[in-house]
Amino acid sequence: MKQLYYKVDKCLGCKSCEIACAVAHSLSGELFNTLQEEVLSLPRKKVLYYKDKNYPVSCRHCKEPKCVDACMAKALVYDKEKGMVLHDTERCVGCWMCVMVCPYAAIRPNLKTKIPLRCDRCNDKDNPACVEACPTGAIIWQEETGLRV
Amino acid sequence: MRQFVIIGNSAAGIAAVEGIRKKDRNSKIIVISDEDYLSYCRCLISYYLAGEVKEEKIFYRPESFYKDNNVELFLNKKVSRVEPKKNRLICEDKSIFGYDCLLIATGARPKFPDIPGIKKRGVFGFRTLKDAKEIAGVLALTKTACILGGGLIGLKAASALKKRNVEVKVVVKSKQVLSQMLDFEAANFVLRQLEKNGIEVIFGQDVSEIIGNGDIKAVKLESGKVFGCSLVIVGKGILPNIDLIKETEINTNEGICVDNLLNTNVSNIYAAGDCAQTLDVTTGTSSVNALWPIAVEEGRIAGRNMAGENISYDGSLGMNSLEVFGLPVVSLGIYKIKEDLASQFEELKFQDPKANIYKKLILKDNLLVGAILVGDIKNSGLFLKIIREKINVTSFKERLLKDNFGFPEIMDLVNARSKLYV
Ligand SMILES: Cc1cc2nc3c(=O)[nH]c(=O)nc-3n(C[C@H](O)[C@H](O)[C@H](O)COP(=O)(O)OP(=O)(O)OC[C@H]3O[C@@H](n4cnc5c(N)ncnc54)[C@H](O)[C@@H]3O)c2cc1C
Repeated sequence: MKQLYYKVDKCLGCKSCEIACAVAHSLSGELFNTLQEEVLSLPRKKVLYYKDKNYPVSCRHCKEPKCVDACMAKALVYDKEKGMVLHDTERCVGCWMCVMVCPYAAIRPNLKTKIPLRCDRCNDKDNPACVEACPTGAIIWQEETGLRV
Repeated sequence: MRQFVIIGNSAAGIAAVEGIRKKDRNSKIIVISDEDYLSYCRCLISYYLAGEVKEEKIFYRPESFYKDNNVELFLNKKVSRVEPKKNRLICEDKSIFGYDCLLIATGARPKFPDIPGIKKRGVFGFRTLKDAKEIAGVLALTKTACILGGGLIGLKAASALKKRNVEVKVVVKSKQVLSQMLDFEAANFVLRQLEKNGIEVIFGQDVSEIIGNGDIKAVKLESGKVFGCSLVIVGKGILPNIDLIKETEINTNEGICVDNLLNTNVSNIYAAGDCAQTLDVTTGTSSVNALWPIAVEEGRIAGRNMAGENISYDGSLGMNSLEVFGLPVVSLGIYKIKEDLASQFEELKFQDPKANIYKKLILKDNLLVGAILVGDIKNSGLFLKIIREKINVTSFKERLLKDNFGFPEIMDLVNARSKLYV
């Protein structure tokens, strides 16, 4: 199963990944038009600065996900094969229970749409948009085993 | 092959089935429920009443769940008593079930105040899908409704009715709404939001009588004031469903007492969810924290232990999240400090009333013990983790409420080290 890793020494905090993420999840999928959309597409990833380093934060798709237990609408399911928490936005009622229990604060409430924002690893695309957008190669997309730094 | 029996087909009961099946694929599991529906998302009945969630989306597990997990399900069957010495239970319809290991996951029911008229047609609790359907059924004839109680259930019912264009009056005994989850200031943010959306709240009063011959005509307040309404919903707290073991040796207090394995004092009987009483990690006392995520967590652990594992539950914590006409509200752990104990605690506060934001953290000896977040809840999960893991916040105290505070700042302090940052 692939996971997102971050070489924090390489991250400049340019937030290209945030922008690419918002664009990838917009209706148009394209920067200029994204900004014109009625409901602004927001990034599912946030780069946070701490002690001279930058840390991109997004859903890790925990193997024992607190958010899935907390979801009172059964909108969240852990898919073992994909190694991902799947979010059924049709069932989601925006109660924010998942936000309340995420130990990484990686799920963020979108108060406009009443649907929480979380990384979906760009679903079926080969490479998540953040990986492609990172100009320094700080975001690594690879199998959990065999990570060599 | 053993026989497991689970009483209750909701959050805790379903999680227990999944917990048992993690380890034991073969033993027989019997689930008994006195409701007439497959397991559903109880917390969504207000969304159902508001018309925001359709019936087919309210079910918690598909029908195939029971077959896939080799569960024999009995609906519409009420267990009247458990006989621990005989390892069996007796139902209202006189049927008898034997068990090798039993889980009591019977949840709770609404508390009804003892006032004249409370049994009248048109007075409802708000706990089951049946309640929601019956309420929905009378809405066409309802102009005004009265909600007894300004807690989570009362406010959810009030909002749902308002969305269905019913006039709503909420009668609250204390001086604020949500007194079981917010301080006075935070409650005022919620109150403003309710009022802005046309819900009237009356404070410092109880309803003393429900008036009407046959159908409800009005309610009378303690002050003597009377106002007309034809529907009453009661949200005055809940009572754990523990009558079925009242006459046994199983220890109870407010709820069923269990140890860290969710085991009662009878070795083959477990309890989980709203009917059980567990260690509260913020107060250090044993209490019922009647919440969905807690019922799921407890149910799963109980199930795994029933199947022979030995998993310790580290305790529950009062927490809740609520959305009031678009305003998000989260409460974690201790949310209010008694005046005489104030000197032991420290409060950190941020507020921006124009933006509808209010955040308060409560600390004791540099440990976070509680939080209230209104309007900006994005870091609530982090605060929960800091509370649960008892992380000393001295070195970053002044950063806690900053907008850009985040996981990286506590990364080196938490139990499970992060492997993502290389
Ligand atoms: C309107 C509403 C909104 C809520 N919102 C939230 C929220 O936002 N967040 C949150 O955390 N929690 C919320 N809750 C609380 C949450 O629903 C409960 O904490 C949760 O359902 C507890 O699960 P449980 O399995 O312990 O019990 P329950 O869900 O109560 O299930 C117990 C089952 O056992 C059955 N039963 C009881 N006695 C017997 C018997 N003798 N024989 C056979 N069957 C029996 C009951 O009928 C019921 O079906 C809400 C509840 C309601 C009603």
